[in-house]
Amino acid sequence: MTEEKIIEDLQKAVLEYDSAGAVSAAKAAIAEKMDPLKAIEKGLVPSIETIGQKFEKMEIYLPELMLAADAMKSALALLLPLIPKGSKGAKATVVIGTVQGDVHEIGKNIVSSMMMAGGYNVIDLGVDVKTMAFIEEAKRNGAKIIGASALMSSTIGSQKDIVDFLVSSGIRKKFVVLVGGGPTTKEWAKEIGADGCGMTAVEAVRLANKFSKGR
Amino acid sequence: MVQILDVMQKALEGKPMSETDYQLRSFAPKVAEKVREHRIKYDPQNPIPSDNSQADELFEAGLELLLDVGAYCTDTGRVISYTENEIKRALKEAPAKLHFGEGRDRKHLVARKIEDKTPPWCLLGAGGGPCSSDRSFLTLVEGYAEIPETNAITTPAITRVGGMRVRPASPLEVLAAQRNAVLAREACNRVGRQGIPIMNSLATAESDIALAAALHPKFGMRQSDGYMICCMDPMKVDFARLNKVAVVLSMGGAIGMCFGPMLGGYAGGPEGTAVSNVAHHMMGILTYQSSWLLPFTIHLRYVASSSRDMLWVISSMGQAISRNTHLLSLNLNYTTAGPCTPMCLYETSASVTAAVVSGLSIESLGVATNKHEDRTTPVEPRISAEVGHAVAGMKRSDANELVKKLLTKYEPKLAEPPMGKGLYECWDPETRKPSKDYQVVIKKYKREMAGLGLELKPEMH
Repeated sequence: MTEEKIIEDLQKAVLEYDSAGAVSAAKAAIAEKMDPLKAIEKGLVPSIETIGQKFEKMEIYLPELMLAADAMKSALALLLPLIPKGSKGAKATVVIGTVQGDVHEIGKNIVSSMMMAGGYNVIDLGVDVKTMAFIEEAKRNGAKIIGASALMSSTIGSQKDIVDFLVSSGIRKKFVVLVGGGPTTKEWAKEIGADGCGMTAVEAVRLANKFSKGR
Repeated sequence: MVQILDVMQKALEGKPMSETDYQLRSFAPKVAEKVREHRIKYDPQNPIPSDNSQADELFEAGLELLLDVGAYCTDTGRVISYTENEIKRALKEAPAKLHFGEGRDRKHLVARKIEDKTPPWCLLGAGGGPCSSDRSFLTLVEGYAEIPETNAITTPAITRVGGMRVRPASPLEVLAAQRNAVLAREACNRVGRQGIPIMNSLATAESDIALAAALHPKFGMRQSDGYMICCMDPMKVDFARLNKVAVVLSMGGAIGMCFGPMLGGYAGGPEGTAVSNVAHHMMGILTYQSSWLLPFTIHLRYVASSSRDMLWVISSMGQAISRNTHLLSLNLNYTTAGPCTPMCLYETSASVTAAVVSGLSIESLGVATNKHEDRTTPVEPRISAEVGHAVAGMKRSDANELVKKLLTKYEPKLAEPPMGKGLYECWDPETRKPSKDYQVVIKKYKREMAGLGLELKPEMH
């Protein structure tokens, strides 16, 4: 199979929300000893960017965005381990989740998918994530950015806990903390010492770009 | 009749499925299928449609959606399926009338029909919006209780206890929920409406333990209040929510499931969101044992319910439910703009009109997307209620023309709405009146509304 065909298949799989197709194309790339970085950059990234733009314009909706991100994740799971350490790859690793005591996931899912579309390696911890889990997972995965979502005015206090814990542990400078969700505001982010508040998924990605090399 | 133990049995024995598969590979494609099969079509030219046959198709689509995909329990990872017989029986046995409140404030919430002259039930207040202090909480709730049209109060949420931010499922949340109950009752007492029901009980209690803890009689909650339990989108439930159901049922309280399928979320565009809303009504009376319902769909981009497509969703869903059931359903609306702006008042007027002429009652409202502390006043719910009363009995076609004119006033500004002013900048807690600036805005707004053909009550100050 030619590289052009593999790239085309990878692109198509993401655009058609086809996880099985993405896995099959990634396997073909490996079998043909294709540069995995090229497969990602030429195959997966342009399509997920297109998906992100379509979602922004509301030409597609949340399920399509998440299914496309799933397809991309399936291919990345095979391709990323083959990239030698130190090579140019994902922009940075982002650990993201909804804070402790909060099970709302839609906003977090949108940001998670849009981050992936923006070229980030996203570790999605799900909902009701304990403060310590954000930090432990960020350390374990070498993440530079922690994204904490909260939908309720009674749960945004947990965003403060993440920042406070990093400060108390003397490791605040190692991580960028971005907050978002229903009741969060830029003023709130400033008050708790977070690095930014993404009022929309697009803004969250923009903030991540700003901080992708660290604080 | 499906009861709480039946729900638990289904949650424990239903078809195993991952949450991702349920929402992305079962719910979402099935919504799209129902939209196609029933030829549901959003018409931007008619945000309040007058098509009875489409309303009936929408109802069938919602019923089939629930039948096909069921609800989902995130704690057991299983689908909670219902038979057609169970759904139809639950619809038949759901109450068409409930009473809330005590003494002279004890009123009946009744089912409404399309173009019904019966005024909507007005659940007025902040819709759980955040407030900064006990003082703000009391100021707002006193103001809500003084609105003549208020049938019930929807309180703000307390965000701090002893100077500390509330943490979920912690003693801080327990104490905040208890204070929520005490202060809400105290505020109503202060203005002589001791019997008025609190129907978003309890806004500050997100966790099951906080709700249960605040129900001790000494905090003032009553059986005749309304107990709101929020559904996880789409059509999901967990043990914490079912715990709340069991607790409220045990005290004989009336549960109102609130649900907010986002336009642009799992159900897709306006058509799918309308189908999802209809299905949620039926899912609510079964899974959440709800005797009244509280849809609050919002737009993914604007986080509000006043855009053209949102008005269509509210109206279409309301018509489908009120033509085909006697469910007690109250639509909660959010604006993008803040207090002391004409845009905020136009936005809420449009959303309330869409709901009321389509057979719904109202919960009004979340101001400025309901996220900013103290960025709401008693004026916005008062105006919403006045509009709700004024449009009761209006023909859908006339309402359609009205909201189209309203849309011209704010539609282009939805992406960057004016935030207006904070509570104390435009509301005087001592005189319990809006500021002079705000009075000017309100009077101008009422003149404009009269010009559009809707005479509202004259301002008294």
